[in-house]
Amino acid sequence: MAAPVSVLRLPKGPDPNSRGFDPKSPRFIALCRTSISMSAASEADPEEQQREQHARTTLRERFLHCLLAMTNKKVQFHMYEKVKVEATFGASDIDMLHFQVSDLHTPIGVQKEALIRCHDVISLTFDA
Amino acid sequence: MAMRQTPLTCSGHTRPVVDLAFSGITPFGYFLISACKDGKPMLRQGDTGDWIGTFLGHKGAVWGATLNTDATKAATAAADFTAKVWDAVSGDEVLTLAHKHIVKTVNFTKDSNFLLTAGNDKLLRIYDLSSPEAAPQEIAGHTSAIKKALWCNDDKQILSAADDKTIRLWDRSSTEVVKTLTFETSVSSMEYVADGEILVITYGKTIAFYDALSLDLIKTVEAPAPINSASLHPDKDFFVAGGEDFKLYKFDYSTKEELESYKGHFGPVHCVRFSPDGELYASGSEDGTLRLWQTAVGKTYGLWKCVLPEDLGTENSEPLYNSPPEIKA
Repeated sequence: MAAPVSVLRLPKGPDPNSRGFDPKSPRFIALCRTSISMSAASEADPEEQQREQHARTTLRERFLHCLLAMTNKKVQFHMYEKVKVEATFGASDIDMLHFQVSDLHTPIGVQKEALIRCHDVISLTFDA
Repeated sequence: MAMRQTPLTCSGHTRPVVDLAFSGITPFGYFLISACKDGKPMLRQGDTGDWIGTFLGHKGAVWGATLNTDATKAATAAADFTAKVWDAVSGDEVLTLAHKHIVKTVNFTKDSNFLLTAGNDKLLRIYDLSSPEAAPQEIAGHTSAIKKALWCNDDKQILSAADDKTIRLWDRSSTEVVKTLTFETSVSSMEYVADGEILVITYGKTIAFYDALSLDLIKTVEAPAPINSASLHPDKDFFVAGGEDFKLYKFDYSTKEELESYKGHFGPVHCVRFSPDGELYASGSEDGTLRLWQTAVGKTYGLWKCVLPEDLGTENSEPLYNSPPEIKA
């Protein structure tokens, strides 16, 4: 059996909170005129930057703990087009693009396993 | 020992990826743009697949996407009846070009000063990007929706493929048809290779290569399944193709022999393109993923790492490196 080629890491996916185009990237700084003032402004207060980073970390940790608390519990999904479905929550990917669920109850029957696109979900709720 | 291909899965899209294009090689590497039915074309670093940004603004599926040579501009064609031009460094929208029907394809001239668009209204349009308010030059003639339109012959001519089962070569200045190719089935994709003036066409289970200037047939190759897209390696020693059976096929260009086939996608492959340096090729699929594949399997390049046989014992103790990306993802 041939060995699979090793990879250093996975490609980085999109940031769910940003459209990207990092103003601090070398390419942005080299090619965009407005980048100098932007990078100067952000570098002006490293303490403020550190506080923001710490807050982001705290929020992210709380969010992930919430996802873990949902594991193997019944979750009600409120979807677009006035659709409501219930399923047992399994997992989500790191980019928050899909939810993996089991026993998805839909108006036409139960789906044993499913992937729900996060873009299709308006809100979700569960009992802890 | 023999190595097995490990595709890199680029996450981010949530609906079928229908088109992709590489830029040329720039001082910051090369870049890859993907068009997706989720309406959110994405820019990625070409050699690693790392996401750089998402072009937000279209209100419908994006059917075509392209980058200019130095990756400073992007253009997209969408189902919301518009084509858009973007600053590919900042991600900002630069221009919206309203059309009368779904736009399927966009293509920059080499100097990035003109944009060719085409779509379901059967017209080719040439926009002067330095005078965006001016009406575009229009070229009529196709009798069905146009699937793909490309500049060729140093931007003096245009190649278009349409659902009327024809490919037409147009003279830009006179807007006359220079030559027409007719097929028994719809052309599924078209790639123009400027170096060597080769046109790569796919229809049915066939991958055909034509001289792009004379539209004379060079050769055809039959694949085991219907093919949606094919791409010729820059060195022209092999080409890759993907289609309805979820697989990617690698063929030798001179002998037409199938060298390899790869599974990995969970849906039909819609598009496949070699990188400008030929080290990898990217595929976009109905399964909503974009995957990068090594041309030379096992070579150290980008995120792929060459592991010598004596290192395998050590590496096996590192689960991070040895588990297939799909399982981790």
